[in-house]
Amino acid sequence: MIFREVEDRDLIAKARRGHVEAYNVLVSRWEKRVFNYLLRLVGQREDALDLSQDVFLKAYQNLKKLDDPAKFPGWLFRIAHNEAYSLLRKNRPEGEMTVEPRMAEASGGLFPIESTLAVRSALERLSDDHREAVLLKVYQGFKFEEMAEILSCPVSTVKSRLYTALDLLKQTLAPVNTGGTE
Amino acid sequence: MNCEMDLKAYVVGEVTPQEKGLVENHVRGCQSCREELDRLNLTRSALASLEDQEIPRRIAFVSDRVFEPRWWQTMWRSGPVMGFAAAALLAAAILVHGFLVHSSLVHGWEARPAAVDAAQIEKQVESRINARVLAAVNEAQARQSAEFTKVLNATESRYETQRHADLATVQQAAEYYEKQMGRFVVASNEGPAQ
Repeated sequence: MIFREVEDRDLIAKARRGHVEAYNVLVSRWEKRVFNYLLRLVGQREDALDLSQDVFLKAYQNLKKLDDPAKFPGWLFRIAHNEAYSLLRKNRPEGEMTVEPRMAEASGGLFPIESTLAVRSALERLSDDHREAVLLKVYQGFKFEEMAEILSCPVSTVKSRLYTALDLLKQTLAPVNTGGTE
Repeated sequence: MNCEMDLKAYVVGEVTPQEKGLVENHVRGCQSCREELDRLNLTRSALASLEDQEIPRRIAFVSDRVFEPRWWQTMWRSGPVMGFAAAALLAAAILVHGFLVHSSLVHGWEARPAAVDAAQIEKQVESRINARVLAAVNEAQARQSAEFTKVLNATESRYETQRHADLATVQQAAEYYEKQMGRFVVASNEGPAQ
């Protein structure tokens, strides 16, 4: 893990000096994570792919502004977050939120929870902010402080969003067996 | 559930080892917290079951020579190369300095007369400058004095001319009044006309 970080730092240093191939290696390491983060956030594969390309292009153009190469992951996901929210705002103006149209009533009958469809649906029912908190924490493994930097908000807000999201997901993916309590 | 355990932080791995131990000890004796923790773990496992998708098209950038740095930019940005160049320059400077010092020690007579010559030249230049300055001052004073004398003579001459002219005018006026006075005396002696 440490060896990998050193390698990333070296690639960043080379890319800063204009080595495009070094940057391509860096992209190949991170593109899948960024693409899946964006895919789960915006929901459309084509949009996620276009956004991913934009993210890596902006990252390359602004690589010299990255003070500490060790913070590259958080910095990259901050760009991805900004790009995704630009698209979400464009597609969903006036703060319109994602709502739960499909699976709300069916939450009690979703076992087995291992169903990919169930998890995907549960994530889709969350608001953008709540879903993003889950994506950054559960799928990308960022710490609360890193998430706060990516999202430009206090750690308390990050925790609040994540905890609310977990409560909502829990109701769908791990409902109480006694029934009728949701 | 009235317990103050932060079970969600435990599930997402945001607890210290000490806090982790506290939670684990607590749930052993608290059924509601244990059930809550089970549900959270179940949720976490369900989320983890969602696999990453492969990216449909690899992202890659091509090199564009227009935006590539020039050779001197690359060299300038390269720390080791610049360091080596600086070290080489320093070494060359030391060599040149050593050579110069050595030759001045060997041919000490060459360096010393040069220092004496410099002092003498400085003194000569200073004396020449002083002489030139003195001559210039004297010349300026003489020129000023001559001009003053010339202006003074001109003024005196003009004054003398003016004085002669005034005297002539006064003399003419005196003669005129004398003649008038003579006529008046003659007329008074002849008496009134009959």
